[in-house]
Amino acid sequence: MIPQELEQIDVMEPVPLEEEASSVIGRVANGIAKVDLSRRERAELLDVKAWGPMLETYGRTMKVAVALTGAEGNLLGRCHNAQPVWTLIHSTIVDRGTCPFCLSPPSPCTAVADALRTGIPTIVRDSAGLTHVAVPLSLGNHRLGAIIAGQVSNQYPESLFLQRAAKKFGVSAQLLWNLSNKQRPVSCAALQLAGDLLCTLGQAFLRQRYSAILEAHVAETNLRFRMLVEGVTDYALFTADHLGRVTSWNSGAERMLGYPEAQIVGQEFSRMFTVEDVHNDAPGRQLRKASQEGRSEDEGWRVREDRTQFWANVIITPLPEEADSHRGFALVMQNVTDRRKTAIELEAVRQERTSLQEQFLSHVSHELRTPLTALYFFITNLLEGVVGDLTSKQREHLEFSLENVKQLKDMVGDLLDVSRIETLKLTVDPRRTSVPSLIAEVLRTCRANAELKNISLLSDIAECLPAAWADRARVRQVLINLIENGIRFTPTNGAITVQGRIFAEDSGFLCLSVTDTGCGMSQESCLMVFDRLAQVKVLTEASRKGLGLGLFISKELVSQQGGRIWVESQVGSGSSFYFTLPVFSLAKLCAPILTQANLAAGCVTLLSIDVPAIDGAIQTQDPTMIRKVLERCILAGQDLLLPSMSDTETTEAFFIVACTGASGAEAIARRLRGELNNSTHKLAISATTLQLSANGQRWEERITEIATHIDKLIQTHLLERSISLEY
Amino acid sequence: MSTKKILIIDDDEHLLLGLAAKLKANGYAVVSAMDGVAAMAVARQELPDLILLDLGLPAGDGFLILERLKAMTDLMSTPVIVLSARDPVNNKERALRAGAIAYFQKPPDNREFLAAIRHALGEEVAMSQFLKT
Repeated sequence: MIPQELEQIDVMEPVPLEEEASSVIGRVANGIAKVDLSRRERAELLDVKAWGPMLETYGRTMKVAVALTGAEGNLLGRCHNAQPVWTLIHSTIVDRGTCPFCLSPPSPCTAVADALRTGIPTIVRDSAGLTHVAVPLSLGNHRLGAIIAGQVSNQYPESLFLQRAAKKFGVSAQLLWNLSNKQRPVSCAALQLAGDLLCTLGQAFLRQRYSAILEAHVAETNLRFRMLVEGVTDYALFTADHLGRVTSWNSGAERMLGYPEAQIVGQEFSRMFTVEDVHNDAPGRQLRKASQEGRSEDEGWRVREDRTQFWANVIITPLPEEADSHRGFALVMQNVTDRRKTAIELEAVRQERTSLQEQFLSHVSHELRTPLTALYFFITNLLEGVVGDLTSKQREHLEFSLENVKQLKDMVGDLLDVSRIETLKLTVDPRRTSVPSLIAEVLRTCRANAELKNISLLSDIAECLPAAWADRARVRQVLINLIENGIRFTPTNGAITVQGRIFAEDSGFLCLSVTDTGCGMSQESCLMVFDRLAQVKVLTEASRKGLGLGLFISKELVSQQGGRIWVESQVGSGSSFYFTLPVFSLAKLCAPILTQANLAAGCVTLLSIDVPAIDGAIQTQDPTMIRKVLERCILAGQDLLLPSMSDTETTEAFFIVACTGASGAEAIARRLRGELNNSTHKLAISATTLQLSANGQRWEERITEIATHIDKLIQTHLLERSISLEY
Repeated sequence: MSTKKILIIDDDEHLLLGLAAKLKANGYAVVSAMDGVAAMAVARQELPDLILLDLGLPAGDGFLILERLKAMTDLMSTPVIVLSARDPVNNKERALRAGAIAYFQKPPDNREFLAAIRHALGEEVAMSQFLKT
């Protein structure tokens, strides 16, 4: 008798596995989180040839039929170990559905779709009473297909059911009976277990396929990369281990350096360096730099196998770290001998041009200066009455002439400065510079010109303005230039104000300004005035006086001293030129030497050398010369020759902060005496010293102590000086 | 105090004329030479108290003259002030190293120049003026 309920399983329903089993399978299926697969890779993953043996073995072992399907449930390849009952019936069915196993057309079997959707094995039973299980094959988020297994009944069929089935499918009842009795039934639970096993097997096999594909890709990429590396012949590309021994070598390297791969691999890459470079540890330094900074680039001579040399550009990058080995390096070398040669030739041409330009400007300046000097002497002689008395008209005309000579002289000076700027020879010599005294001096110089136009020159200087770290003569030049410009563009009875302040935006700088009540200029002009030979069109005749180089030179001079210059102006309401200069900071200067460690070791000494106390046959009083002698007597980086601390050069005293103890100070004095005895300056020195040590005092307090000591010495020294002058 | 004698060595005729007039007006005796050979001859013959030396000269560069002057026993202690059109950046230190006591670029400021001359001639009173300029 055929059980009624079996007849009714025409509508197939998924039979989920028990929860515990499904979670195991879920883990396996989700082992790979996100995968990118091409159509070709999907096809490769489900390659029936690869799956065939595994499915065949499984089917025979489990005594079930098994087949691979696509994501739509369509058969891929063939059905392995097809069961006899199924084979008999299947051969008679004309209208087959998509599911390769179902013997119940036309109802569509959704086992594969359900398995892929739920991610767990799904069991269905067809109208012939045969069951099969579909297990999903997915990789990451890709639902690739399924394996179906079964074609089995869960019990020996009853004869009535067999007769009906034989009739329904048009097969011999006897044959069906015989086959049914030969085929052992598989319980639903057993099929579930079989499905579980198949799922695990299937996913494992899928992942193994996936790994194989990835490996093939890597191998292919490696092969292509190797072909690429080999194909590059203009560059030497090679790798080295952590000790600098060559581990791979491309044909470009062989071509460039002459070593065949077999000869160089295992050898140290230092053999490509010159003897001097090896001696100086250049190879080791470059590897260390690459390790520490992630890259090192170098240009230098490299040596070929035949000992000839070429100029190379070499970039070294560390290779990614590997678990159980030291980091190696990748090296890219390019022969840039030709490029270097061109660069050297270009540089030579540039130098020649610069030199010619310099010679020309120097020549022009020189040739103009001599007649100018004669003119200057003649005019001043006349004005001084050397050749007799003058009428007031004559005197007036001569004064105008002298004015013009001075202008010419300034222009010649400007030409020389521009030449220095362009040949990068414009230098500044920063010192401790008092701004109020400098402004006062500049105003004295400019007063005569201002008075000619009845322009008042005013100064407005903040109280207790700190000293600047600047080249006094050059700041003077900038201020005079700005004031003279102001006078030129300000109508009679106007005013020019020079201000000195702490820079509001940065207290590490002073801000000096020159403000006039002149004609002002447009925003556009404000941006242009500092350009070389800037001609501000809107201005009057006056703007064409001079070479138009003053502001260009001023800008260079200010920026060389670490400041910046700018102008604020409006047409009709005057202009304000501003520039900044760094504030002098003894602390900043002393910082490299006055370290806690040095102070703790008690080895910092302040040595003061008094120039007027230098007696003997003085052949020069030029502080610059004495400074140069002193510079030769200290150890650079260890001792520090402080800049001028007084405001006028003629009263200079010198201070050395020596990173040595009292005995070190003696050593400096000894060197100084030796230096002076060897030179044409037969000088003797007198020096006082101040021993500095940590003593638990703060760093700032040590600086204050040094500053106080210096101030005291300068004042004593100035006092002595003024006494000797008065009497 | 006897009149101090100054030797001007310069190849520009007009400059010589102008400077000599100025120095004479300031109470100095002046001799001059226009090239290196003449300079050495005049120096040896006149034994001046001070030498004003140009650097660019025919028949003997100013540095060469300076070197020779410093090698002669009767002239080695004669102060030399360089007055040259050349850029002090390249020449001042060299001149001072070679034994000049001051370097002025043409044209000099009259006041500073005369103060340096007085100082070089040991006229102490002028020293304070020199320092004030």
